[in-house]
Amino acid sequence: MTQETETPTGEVLISCRSVWKLYGAKAEGIAAKYGQNISDEIIAKNGLISAARDVTFDVRKGEIFVIMGLSGSGKSTILRCMTGLIEPTMGQLLVSGTDLKTATRQQLIDLRRKVMGMVFQDFALLPHLTVLDNVAFPLKVQGKSKVERHAKAREMVDLVGLEGREAYLPHELSGGQQQRVGIARSLTTEPEIWFLDEPFSALDPLIRAEMQDEFLRLQNLLQKSIVFVTHDFDEAIRLADRIAIMADGRVVQIGTPEELITNPADDYVAKFTEKVPRSKVVTVQSVMGPVRQNLSGPPIKAADLVGDVAEQAMSGPDAMPVAGKDGTIIGALDRAAVTAVLLNKSASA
Amino acid sequence: MNVRSLRRSEGSSQTWPKTGLILAAILLNVALLMMGDTFAWLREYPETWVWGIAGATTTAVKYFVNDLAIRGVSVAEMTRGFANLIKVPMLALQGVLSEGFEFYGDNGEATIYRGLPWPAVMAGLTAFAWWAAGRKVALFSLFSLVYFLVFGLWQSSMLTLSSVVVAVFVSFVLGILLGILGYRNARANAILMPIYDVMQTIPTFSYLVPVLLLFGFNPVAAMIATVIYAMPPMARVTTLALQRVPPNIADFGDMAGCTKRQKMWQVMLPAARQNLLIGLNQVIMLTFAMVIIASVIGAGGLGGEVYQGLKALRIGDAVEVGIAITLMAIMLDRISKAIALSRPDHVDAAPGAVWQRHPLTFAWIAIALLLVLLGQIFPSLYAYPKAATISTGSFWNDAITWIGDTYYTQIKALRDTTITYIMRPMKSFLLDVPWTGFIAVIAAISYAIGGRGLAIMSASLLGFIAVTGYWDGAMVSLYLVLLSVIVALIIALPVGIWAGLNPRVDHVVTAIIDTLQTLPSFVYLIPVVMLFSVGEFAGLVAIVAYSLPPGVRYTKQGIQNVARSSIEAGDMAGCTRWQKLTNVQLPLAIPDIMLGVNQTIMFAFGMLVITALVGTRGLEHDTLVAISKVQPGEGIVAGLGIAFLSIITDRLISQGSRNFQRRSGMSQR
Ligand SMILES: Nc1ncnc2c1ncn2[C@@H]1O[C@H](COP(=O)(O)OP(=O)(O)OP(=O)(O)O)[C@@H](O)[C@H]1O
Ligand SMILES: [Mg+2]
Repeated sequence: MTQETETPTGEVLISCRSVWKLYGAKAEGIAAKYGQNISDEIIAKNGLISAARDVTFDVRKGEIFVIMGLSGSGKSTILRCMTGLIEPTMGQLLVSGTDLKTATRQQLIDLRRKVMGMVFQDFALLPHLTVLDNVAFPLKVQGKSKVERHAKAREMVDLVGLEGREAYLPHELSGGQQQRVGIARSLTTEPEIWFLDEPFSALDPLIRAEMQDEFLRLQNLLQKSIVFVTHDFDEAIRLADRIAIMADGRVVQIGTPEELITNPADDYVAKFTEKVPRSKVVTVQSVMGPVRQNLSGPPIKAADLVGDVAEQAMSGPDAMPVAGKDGTIIGALDRAAVTAVLLNKSASA
Repeated sequence: MNVRSLRRSEGSSQTWPKTGLILAAILLNVALLMMGDTFAWLREYPETWVWGIAGATTTAVKYFVNDLAIRGVSVAEMTRGFANLIKVPMLALQGVLSEGFEFYGDNGEATIYRGLPWPAVMAGLTAFAWWAAGRKVALFSLFSLVYFLVFGLWQSSMLTLSSVVVAVFVSFVLGILLGILGYRNARANAILMPIYDVMQTIPTFSYLVPVLLLFGFNPVAAMIATVIYAMPPMARVTTLALQRVPPNIADFGDMAGCTKRQKMWQVMLPAARQNLLIGLNQVIMLTFAMVIIASVIGAGGLGGEVYQGLKALRIGDAVEVGIAITLMAIMLDRISKAIALSRPDHVDAAPGAVWQRHPLTFAWIAIALLLVLLGQIFPSLYAYPKAATISTGSFWNDAITWIGDTYYTQIKALRDTTITYIMRPMKSFLLDVPWTGFIAVIAAISYAIGGRGLAIMSASLLGFIAVTGYWDGAMVSLYLVLLSVIVALIIALPVGIWAGLNPRVDHVVTAIIDTLQTLPSFVYLIPVVMLFSVGEFAGLVAIVAYSLPPGVRYTKQGIQNVARSSIEAGDMAGCTRWQKLTNVQLPLAIPDIMLGVNQTIMFAFGMLVITALVGTRGLEHDTLVAISKVQPGEGIVAGLGIAFLSIITDRLISQGSRNFQRRSGMSQR
């Protein structure tokens, strides 16, 4: 089912291999009996709930990997498996070189202290601690001195733009501010991998957009490897390098936003993509035709978004040359193709 | 959805056999009563068959305490040594608050260190109330403290206060630890829960004797008895509060890299803080009530003064002390509630020295030091002069005499009529019901409500009462409780409905029941004895008064909780006010009202235990007699009888309420 047209380069930080999570009284026994051959009928017959089924993907260094799906599709489940908060029923999980299944409790604690940071949907701030102490908390449990952890926490509070509110308690902050604290807190330990489970879902649309900008700004600055869970497809395409779409515990498709839109694997994915303005996602490269004679006018860059070159294309000749990275002409862009994109027609139509 | 409809059909198809079973059990009673003497043992449990576990327990406890020795040290010596250890913080606090310390040198010479002068204690407590709960409560506390002082109750009230503080501390810490255990380990929790049930429902008097035997006749025994009573709610609250911590906060604890211990103490417990503090408020109030009751074993303090007053029929004095107890109860409640509900705001880091950041504390220290110095010159700062105390005892006595003289005939008529036409018939009816038939009826009802498990539980707990020879006592207890509950509900339901419908009434009613509920049960005895002297009627009135507030509260809340939309639907359907009440509000409020009924019954059992002091004759009487005869076994077995009665009632009603909710599809709420 899953397809990866273009394999991103870079070192693999998280590797999920055929991960299953089954809930129910008989889950362990059934899993041990059937292994990966378990079928829908067996699951249904034994009254099990499959929160994640045969999930396989890699998260690479420096990318923003978004897991998208409707409520109950298993996004949190797979994220919690990756952080070791729950143990998968079957399958293998390697995080930063550690196999979570065989890791000792201490190894897991170390991993969380050094490598992972996490942001929660409802912020999960500690109600009795000030902003500064909340942000410093992960360092406190590591036994860092008060001076050291407060210095670091102050830095983080400044980073998310909350300077001046260090002494506030969580209940005195707005939702957006609380999530800034959550973000600052997840970054104090300078983690390599950053997990965010629907971090902006509890916020108003305006604040949400602001926080998405903030998130991208931070990522530009810090270059973390990110697993970001959301049920909002717009948010996904806005932030993601790659998106994994989940339904009923399965990964339906993995790809870049553009791949999902231009080539949805099934109706389920297509349903999400159909309302997205394709001009903001589709690149010239993916709708251009082959090079032909008589192309005139200045070349258009292959990596540009169709929406950005639309004006130029519509006012120019019927077909325009398209230049690759090195400047050579690699294709031709037809005006009809641009019109189709602007009208939000899918590639096959 | 399938599940629910399935259950519903299952319920209706099984209703008939269940009702039939209950009818059959009732018929069994009739049959037993009509039968001749052949089956007399089915009616009256034969005395010769009584299982002498009570006496055996007494012997065992006495052996255990007095004769059992480990390496030459008897158990009593060990436990009493332990008691002396716990006594230290208690005496220390008491010494500081009022009494001072005495040390005896080798030559028998006493060195005396005095505690704090009373104005210093007053200032300190008032300042604390201010800090915790604001100006109003501070003023109230100051007023109360002045009352204690001028009525010559300073020493007693400080003794009570220090007992409360130490016992609350122990209950709180123990409760949290056991609560954590219950949260972490489901199996331990399953074992602990029924134990808590028994600890909370078994009458105090029944375990006072073993505690006394173990720890000696001193305040520590009272404190341990108090902890037995007040700790279980804290443990329950802790487990519940931990279970209610938002799952994401728990996950955060793990993700921050906490060890198991760090997660518990730095994440879970602080996140559950609010609920824990509400539990603390409960513990304080229960402890206070119990510290007052413990006066029966000579723990002294305010309770002791009331007890002495009541025993000597110096009612006026008892009233005076009763008011002091009331004041202290309200003071403790308001302060601890304020602490529980407080949500501190940020403080801008105030630069400056320690005393600038804690002005109240340092001002108090300065004042206290000054007073200590002044106290060297003016001894009245240490011992409030007797001459300056006042007493309203004679006023109250006169008032009581006046009431007695003026309304003698009315009171007597009320009492005699109730006794002759209601109490006695009901009592003899319950006593006449064959024990086997009674058990059969209850078991059948339990089966109808909660299935086989509940039926077995009810039957065996009741069987225990019969077999141990306490059946008649249990019936006498039961009759008093049932009658009180009926009377209480006849009053509570209309008042609760009225308050639920009318905000202005609600305001008044809530203020009254809030205050009534903070009062220790013991205090209720004072006006009752004042008006009705002693006896079962007095007991009835006391139980009714004590169990009224929860009934009113739940009924009121039930009415108020009915969703606006349902009421508006009623309005749109053109209901009159009366139709709206009977067709919409009352039916929807039934689950809450049933909870209220359950609470009323639990409170009634709680008060029943204490009415033994005014001469009721059920199992509670047996527990009290066991104290004077020093029979721990008899006390415990009789006490278990009461505990079992209330546990069965509780299970039946709460399960019934759940069934009702499920059947009417209200389980979502
Ligand atoms: N502890 C559990 N026991 C039983 N079922 C569970 C448990 N946790 C999750 N599930 C089920 O697993 C499925 C996936 O849950 P999950 O929380 O991963 O969904 P999600 O995609 O994160 O949804 P949301 O957007 O609502 O957070 C759901 O059907 C849920 O009911
Ligand atoms: Mg989720």
